[in-house]
Amino acid sequence: MTTYANQCAIVGVGESERSRNSGTTPLHLALDAARNALRDAGLEARDLDGIMNYSTGGDSCTSHELATYLGSRPKYVKDISGGGSSTELLIADAVALIEAGELETVLIYRAMNGASGHQVGRGYDPDLLQGMLPGGSFVMPYGSASPSQWFGMFAMRHMHETGTTKEHLGHVCVSFYEHAQRNPKAFLHGKPLDMETYLATPDISTPFNIHDCCVELDEANALIVTSAGNAKNCKSRPVYIMGMAPRHTHSHAHYWTQVDEVASDHAAPALYQSAGVKPEDIDVAAIYDCFSWVVLRQLEAYGFAKRGEAGDFVKDGNLKMGGRLPSNTAGGMLSEGYTHGMNNVLELVRQLRHDYKGTDRQVKDCELGICTGWSGPDLAGAMILRN
Amino acid sequence: MTQATKYEKPVPLKTLDNHPYWDAADRHELALQKCSDCKGYIHPPGPSCPSCGSPATEWENLGSDISATVYSYITSYRPFLPGFQHDLPTVITVAALDVAPEVKIMANIIGCPAEEVEIGMPLKMTWTDITPDRALPQWTPSRSQN
Repeated sequence: MTTYANQCAIVGVGESERSRNSGTTPLHLALDAARNALRDAGLEARDLDGIMNYSTGGDSCTSHELATYLGSRPKYVKDISGGGSSTELLIADAVALIEAGELETVLIYRAMNGASGHQVGRGYDPDLLQGMLPGGSFVMPYGSASPSQWFGMFAMRHMHETGTTKEHLGHVCVSFYEHAQRNPKAFLHGKPLDMETYLATPDISTPFNIHDCCVELDEANALIVTSAGNAKNCKSRPVYIMGMAPRHTHSHAHYWTQVDEVASDHAAPALYQSAGVKPEDIDVAAIYDCFSWVVLRQLEAYGFAKRGEAGDFVKDGNLKMGGRLPSNTAGGMLSEGYTHGMNNVLELVRQLRHDYKGTDRQVKDCELGICTGWSGPDLAGAMILRN
Repeated sequence: MTQATKYEKPVPLKTLDNHPYWDAADRHELALQKCSDCKGYIHPPGPSCPSCGSPATEWENLGSDISATVYSYITSYRPFLPGFQHDLPTVITVAALDVAPEVKIMANIIGCPAEEVEIGMPLKMTWTDITPDRALPQWTPSRSQN
């Protein structure tokens, strides 16, 4: 069993340009992100002996390609089919391999032309999906092909049971859009959102309007994990990995039988045990936000609000700067951009390094951060980081 | 075959594991897969029981008089698949079978304005003939059948 206990650290983070139409390939985007992460860490491409990435439906380049054109010659390349919890799962793999003495320094990336290429929110090829998704034949014939519809079905029942309202969802959006106004690189920088506008925006698919849905873009992100020993020699301030917990539950992500349990509910206790801390110790968060409601459900799962009280927790300003748990402080996937979870991790690392010290973007004196990944109700992966 | 009546929406794909469900649907009946060991229903059907892992499964025919209750639903105002542009908004529900509430069956709710759909609403299963040899199970409010 892997013992995290600060034995490894994230020492470099980087991203490519972020746009609606990159005019280039995921490989070019991945190279930009990887070079920026290496520069951030003060490392060379040849220092990497492991490269890993996750993708969906072949929307990325392979680790082999990235290694080739980065000029790196790693021992180990690995590509998985993954989603919203894969950043954490690949970091867990990297830590285990480093701890086993197999590898020293691993680069993990996610690259996608999420707007100009394949776009998740617009639905997929119906026959392909029926064959590819578990239970797909029971979903597609009824017009359900978008994650907004799959997660919306969960959200509608949960809202019915707990009294969570549309306005509660809106507070998640308004909080994150507010963060984006402090981040010049956020896609929705310069486009603040107020509750009146939010509530006046028509739904795409209940209970979600456009603001409840993440902003799909062309972008790549990368981060570098190494041993705590190596981390001391890097240029950046190390951010240590305290604990980690992945979890699978439901048999079907897109066709479920009940909403009372999600994988995050099971990941949470294992996560806190792994890190040896409690929810009240956490200063700053990166909460997976493909849709607004997913944030509320995870606040319940990870112990920041009781069942049915997450909406009021957010309404009270707790995810904003100065709140109990400033979250997704670059704007999150709802307003910075969607890189399948990794951009939220990058921001958490920068917060814990105090990169924004002296500005209103810095969560003052933060030491402990939580990062929650949500591939769906069926799969979760979460980690706790410290400076 | 006339182009005017061509069915544009996805036709349920019959597979190794699910074909008895769709074969029954074509006869306007509901058949559910069941675990031969733990006796639980398995829906959607699969290669083994997701509750206990048993590979021993069987099929049970529940007939054509199927009632259920709306467990959750969404109303989509945008088409995400071909054919749905003609019937917006589209209501999609997961309904709990009255005889086995742990079984939730997803379908559209037809014959009911979207704004009248609510959680807890009683439904009856109905079948729409979508091609000469295929039929699609759908839900409709049970009150409209009275």
